[in-house]
Amino acid sequence: MNTLGMKTLFEKEVRRFMRVPGQTILSPLISTTLYFIIFGYSISSRVSEVEGVPYLPFIVPGLVFLGIANNSFLNSSSSLFITKIQGTVVDLLVAPMGPGELMAGFIGGAMVRGLAVGGLTWGVAALFTGFSLQHAGVAAYFFFISSYVFSVLGMMAALWAEKFEQINFFPTFVMMPLTFLGGVFYSVRELPAPWDQISLFNPMVYMVEGLRYGMLGRSIFPPALGGGILLLLALVATGVTYMALRSGYKMKA
Amino acid sequence: MSPTVLEVQGLSKTYAGLTALAEVNLSIRQGEIFALLGPNGAGKTTLIGAVCGLVKKTHGRILLFGKDLDDDPVSPRYDVGLVPQELNFDPFFTVAESLHIQLGYYGRPRDEARVDEVLTALNLQNKKDALTRALSGGMKRRLLIAKALVHRPKLVFLDEPTAGVDVELRRDLWTYVRKLAAEGTTIVLTTHYLEEAEELADRVGVINEGRLLLVEDKASVMRRFGERRLVVTFEQPLAELPEAARRFNATLSEERRTLTYLEREGTPPSGELLRALYSLGLPISDVETRHSRLEDVLIEVLRGRPQREARAPAP
Repeated sequence: MNTLGMKTLFEKEVRRFMRVPGQTILSPLISTTLYFIIFGYSISSRVSEVEGVPYLPFIVPGLVFLGIANNSFLNSSSSLFITKIQGTVVDLLVAPMGPGELMAGFIGGAMVRGLAVGGLTWGVAALFTGFSLQHAGVAAYFFFISSYVFSVLGMMAALWAEKFEQINFFPTFVMMPLTFLGGVFYSVRELPAPWDQISLFNPMVYMVEGLRYGMLGRSIFPPALGGGILLLLALVATGVTYMALRSGYKMKA
Repeated sequence: MSPTVLEVQGLSKTYAGLTALAEVNLSIRQGEIFALLGPNGAGKTTLIGAVCGLVKKTHGRILLFGKDLDDDPVSPRYDVGLVPQELNFDPFFTVAESLHIQLGYYGRPRDEARVDEVLTALNLQNKKDALTRALSGGMKRRLLIAKALVHRPKLVFLDEPTAGVDVELRRDLWTYVRKLAAEGTTIVLTTHYLEEAEELADRVGVINEGRLLLVEDKASVMRRFGERRLVVTFEQPLAELPEAARRFNATLSEERRTLTYLEREGTPPSGELLRALYSLGLPISDVETRHSRLEDVLIEVLRGRPQREARAPAP
């Protein structure tokens, strides 16, 4: 295994997004914080509690999840896609690195960004709501596996995409709606029929609820459900991406 | 004989029914400079891409440093460098950072001295800390070459390495390529500047429509396909072509003042004809000779001459 090659790619990925921190860290942090301030303060004046939790702390886990998922996805997808478009993918394909090394480098870098934005979002929210961590192990699991899953999904999207429009498709038309409809700002149990039942098919609901259990100690679903879904997604996405890289799908002529 | 570093056996590649490579067989020996020539779309870049892992072959075998790439596609690539035809650069990093990253990709630790050596060799030292996006086209081409060489590869593919660069860099690069070859590095070169191949190559291969038409030592191919044109101008028109010159199949121009002789493999040397003309005491005012260039040879080969005189591509 080319461990130095893998480490070099990982460090390069981290340095790449750290070269433009305003775009990669600060901008998503401000967006998520604005959600927190605007949604939180405007709604918390009318809704005092959700599922027995004051409204402001209730939305924190969902916003942290949003920060992790979006930024992990955006980092790996944009970096690999731009590498394809710029032609620097040649450097990676000729170099003695197999699919494992390439995945470790891209995913590692994307996870660092996702976790940095998620952690900073949590830190900013804690200034308003106070710090709450009820089940550290569960919260850590959801932090890491969420960032991993969305980093791998980002790689998959970048491998598949051939145009900028395609690379934006997944975050805009899939991730954002599913996350916003995934119980970030409300409890899906309180939705009117049939939306409460339809929401049960949204995997983001279980991920947000799992993180909510780890941070606040309250969840409408067992955290193992969200944890299991993420684990399954991680395994499937890893397998698909590995096979795609090994076969040279849309990378090699 | 030097060991073989690259062996391509029956390599084919088709893109949606279009044949890019057809049953290509080729061996490259350690330390040689091999020039792969052919028109645009002939299959040169596809062949290099298949060896370097950029193109998925349709069938055939590629043995790199004795290892079949079907069994081990990764480890032989530690010793391969590629200058791709298309310019590419990562705008987030400086020239020196790009070279350190390249070293890391090839499992080599950070090496300031090596990076400085390559930058100096390619006249990029004063751009060491410049962001790659700030480089001119020629500088970007130099950086591509530096990236391909920084990890000391044993086999380097130069795919149109001097496209769009100035004469000075071209000469610098030729000197550097000769130095690398003298140190044992094997070079596979594609170029549209046939002067470049003529200057550098030990062997040449001609490819067209995916078929390798010829692989031969450059000196041999120049001798076999090349010709020397001898043009003798007389002070006054001759009454007729002298008998001695007729024996050489020389021709006289319409105004009877210029005699032309084409010396090819198997024909008498031009010197014999000149001696014959001098011995006749003819009033010669000028003698001009012109050797074929590789360009002329390439045109001949592409026109089909090797099919008539086919020789098996030799290792």
